[in-house]
Amino acid sequence: MTAPTELEKTKLTLGFVALLDCAPLVVAREKGFFNKYGLSVVLSKESSWATIRDKVSFGILDGAQMLAPMPLAATLGLNGNKTPMVTALALSQNGTAITLGKELFLALSQHVTDWDNDETVGSQFKALIKSMGRKPVIATVYPYSNHHYQLRYWLKKHNISFADDVELVAIPPTKMLENLSNGLIDGYCVGEPWNSLALINQSGGLLTTGYRIWGTQIEKVLGVTAQWADENPLTHQALVRAIYEACEWLSQSENKDELIELLSLPPYLDRSANLIKGFTPPYSMEQRFFGNEVNLPGQQQGQFLLEQMQACGQLSDEQIDLFSISKQVFREDLYREWCTN
Amino acid sequence: MKHLNVLIIDEEADRVQALKDALHQLGHHVVCHLSDTSDLNHHVESFHPDIVIIDMDSPDRDTLESMATMSQNNPRPIVFFAEQQNDRRTMAAAINAGVSAYIADGLQADRVKAIMDTAIAHFDAHSLIRTELEEARTQLADRKVIEKAKGMLMKHQGCDENQAYQTLRKIAMDRGQKLPDVAASVIEVLNATNGLLKK
Repeated sequence: MTAPTELEKTKLTLGFVALLDCAPLVVAREKGFFNKYGLSVVLSKESSWATIRDKVSFGILDGAQMLAPMPLAATLGLNGNKTPMVTALALSQNGTAITLGKELFLALSQHVTDWDNDETVGSQFKALIKSMGRKPVIATVYPYSNHHYQLRYWLKKHNISFADDVELVAIPPTKMLENLSNGLIDGYCVGEPWNSLALINQSGGLLTTGYRIWGTQIEKVLGVTAQWADENPLTHQALVRAIYEACEWLSQSENKDELIELLSLPPYLDRSANLIKGFTPPYSMEQRFFGNEVNLPGQQQGQFLLEQMQACGQLSDEQIDLFSISKQVFREDLYREWCTN
Repeated sequence: MKHLNVLIIDEEADRVQALKDALHQLGHHVVCHLSDTSDLNHHVESFHPDIVIIDMDSPDRDTLESMATMSQNNPRPIVFFAEQQNDRRTMAAAINAGVSAYIADGLQADRVKAIMDTAIAHFDAHSLIRTELEEARTQLADRKVIEKAKGMLMKHQGCDENQAYQTLRKIAMDRGQKLPDVAASVIEVLNATNGLLKK
């Protein structure tokens, strides 16, 4: 493999949020995959998804780790500026879960023995919150996310009204655990490492995982604006190839310990990385980083996400052609051209 | 003209005060709120801000985004129209200055623009004097630690001085620690790492 010789741009800045699935970007930088493809990349730690969207839209960032629904929402101009975006690479699959605080989890544990039986878990949870005398407060991070859709889907499946039976609030991931431990919230739906950390910290237990709710699900993607992709096709290709190789590195079990060391470097996951070293949650969140079924930003998957936006009332235009929007944003074609050997 | 309710969410005390005074002068009702507190949801619901001015890098932005999708009554992210060059310039200036804004439905564009322009001017002015303020406030020993940590981050991350500073600031926010303490631990981690990890 040779690096393309005429990259339009070699110095890039990419945004990330300190979650476990920023790992492909961290590895691509720290293990020299960006360099191999002639790229010099600064990784910029961002404090919110909103900031990632704005900085990518206005070209302050060349691209970023994004929640899979984000480039679709930006392209449609939902809740913000309309900026067409694309992704040619998914960074990760799964890795979300709903965690309950200690009190609620212990109470539920008295009625649930088989946590694999979702019907029982759901009906017991419903009975429990009805008997609480107040609405349980459940937190998510960002409205255009699997977390948000999975939580709403699961509640609806068990006839629990998100509007009447629970109080949904939004708080930043770094504050989730603190709020759960203090009893300010009763649970959260968020990505790793925040579910594992609650278990390690004995602040709560898993209600269910995103994998149990939906099965395999695209989680984070590499997002860039459509304009950036048009102007920098060779750089885009080099970027996607480099991160794809980093994903392959991540999939090798002998690299597990080194990954934790890389993630614990400032400014990545900082101290929380070391805490999860060697920890295996009781129910696997099935978080994966490599494989065609993982890294392909599939048009079907994009369409599924758009349907969730409709189901949650975020996308009210019924006339919209979901498949063609998905095709425009989730660039299966580029992935197939660049990432299949 | 009826005054607007303005909510400012920002950590930087000097910047908040200056902006608050300026908006008062324009006749608005201003309430300030520290970034990253747990009761923001309730605060927004009870204060009913017409416009929220927030540090672009505040983790609380996603909370506001979420509230906007949950109720029509909550302020929404400010939107520009690409065909209006004025709007686009204002947005670009805002992002470069580190200002973001959420506005309630039905506000007149020129009233919003006046507030945005004021906020942008104050954020810009603040970033110019930030180094001086810091020097006046920080002990020499702490300043040296911060400088050293910045230098090590610049080398390790291949980034510029401002990015290194922003990195330290964000870690400090996440950990709820002071900048010199974060700087000391960053130096420790990067020293321990040197030699262990090779590209």
